[in-house]
Amino acid sequence: MKILVEDVQYIAKLAKLSFSEEQAKKMAMEFESILTHFESIDKFDLSDIHLDLYSEALQPVLRKDETAVFPDKEKLFQNVKSMSDTSIMVPKILE
Amino acid sequence: MKIESMTAHEIRSGLIEKRFTAEAVVAACFERIRQAEPKIDAYLTLCEADAMAQARSIDERIERGEVPGKLAGVPIAVKDNICTDGIKTTCASKILYDFIPPYDATVAKKLKDADAILIGKTNMDEFAMGSSTENSGFKRTRNPWDLERVPGGSSGGSAAAVAAGTVPLALGSDTGGSIRQPAAFCGVVGLKPTYGLVSRFGLIAFGSSLDQIGPFAGTVKDSALLLEAIQGEDPLDSTSVKHAVREDYLSGIEEGVKGMRIGIPVEFFQAGLDSEIAAAIQESIERLKAMGAIVEEMSLPITVEGLSAYYIISSAEASSNLARFDGIRYGYRPEAFENLEELMEKSRSEAFGAEVKRRIMLGTYALSSGYYDAYYNRAQKLRSKIREQFREAFQRFDLILSPVSPVLPFKSGEKSSDPIEMYLADIYTININLAGLPALSMPCGFSAGGLPIGLQIIGPHFGEDRILKAAYALEQELGLPDRKPAI
Repeated sequence: MKILVEDVQYIAKLAKLSFSEEQAKKMAMEFESILTHFESIDKFDLSDIHLDLYSEALQPVLRKDETAVFPDKEKLFQNVKSMSDTSIMVPKILE
Repeated sequence: MKIESMTAHEIRSGLIEKRFTAEAVVAACFERIRQAEPKIDAYLTLCEADAMAQARSIDERIERGEVPGKLAGVPIAVKDNICTDGIKTTCASKILYDFIPPYDATVAKKLKDADAILIGKTNMDEFAMGSSTENSGFKRTRNPWDLERVPGGSSGGSAAAVAAGTVPLALGSDTGGSIRQPAAFCGVVGLKPTYGLVSRFGLIAFGSSLDQIGPFAGTVKDSALLLEAIQGEDPLDSTSVKHAVREDYLSGIEEGVKGMRIGIPVEFFQAGLDSEIAAAIQESIERLKAMGAIVEEMSLPITVEGLSAYYIISSAEASSNLARFDGIRYGYRPEAFENLEELMEKSRSEAFGAEVKRRIMLGTYALSSGYYDAYYNRAQKLRSKIREQFREAFQRFDLILSPVSPVLPFKSGEKSSDPIEMYLADIYTININLAGLPALSMPCGFSAGGLPIGLQIIGPHFGEDRILKAAYALEQELGLPDRKPAI
């Protein structure tokens, strides 16, 4: 399967990554070789397999949606790079 | 005290019988680390002060007559993708270079409850993506048996830490072979438990439907002991098993293999398997037969193709799991950025390594509009076929025996330029993760060049007791744990 540099750049945009032209060329070549390998799945007839994620055998496992206070706020926010009072600061999103 | 030749069982009983103190054990452990670590580089963080304080507290409790936990005073290393409260947890990634978790993973809490002593956090392939630990964002770990060779991966630091005798136990995680393959490369015992047997809460996710935490040890009995301490239901992990499972993996471990039906999948012994590995496994098969096991050839037709399904599913899950790393709440943040979009893109592009980016890209592609059915959906269907294949096999056999890796530990840099060649190193381990089965890797011999050779014992879901029984019998027969690398 042919992968173009433009395909790589489009996927990179979705993945929030950026690549130089040179890196994107290299990735396009690697992608082609990996995707060719992935084609080995095509030799199986999988039409009789129906993926039923909500099988009757599965029981709901969700906990009750209850709020709880984290005991140590200082510890909780120790990794944040910039804060104002109790809020995490991010760049402006509205001009 | 020679910590490098002591088992966890010997350490615990020595403490209870007051033959030595936990403080002496930890001191010996760090002495060994100072000797071995400059050559091996297995650790990313060492916790000497905390370990000594914990050892003193255990000694005081023993002195007061208290009965300490199951792993009392046993030094343990933990892979750096398992959260440890107040101790840096980086996943060997620059994106988490300064991340200090505000909580313990359930397994880390269980280790504390069992009175194990955390010695340090171990090196790994970044976000557990790799088979050589060469993808670490920080340093290269060397194989204690040959310093020019890789320790395997992704839990290469944990395997090397045990093999070098710096700790008797370690924890790793296994998404496609990341416990079993480094265990084989370093000549130690590595167990990937059944999916759901050990809580994943606090394990920084790679492929959530495949990831499983498990033990590294120098012996099969130590492996069983650590499994006992970490297994069990956890309300914080909705995929942990709900029904009561076995809590004791040691009683009955000496029962032997007489009458056990063991299957040998022919597809695992075809072209591509190193001849020395094939010969060592054949020798183990003969020993098992001599001990009374019924060994027969069988077929697992879907083997190579599982690799494709694995790389599609694991990359898809990784692309979703790693979307949380954006430079906002924690982790690496670039110095200059104009807006939110640029902050996220630069954080991720500057801090993720090449292999992590490759997997995120593959996963994003496989999940993108127009390709979902062709890749992700088909891979899930093949996964369901692979599960069925194993279900049928375990109607005829108690266990399946195979190689762990098609190749011996390779030299650093030998495979890192070709992703496909590196991915092929996982060929015998990935299908086990796709099926959620338990499997153990144990040493079964050495190559002519003195490199360890691993053997894989695969069991049915929750068949860890059966696996450990066979592994213990074989270990006693082969007598390999006494052979240690010269460091």
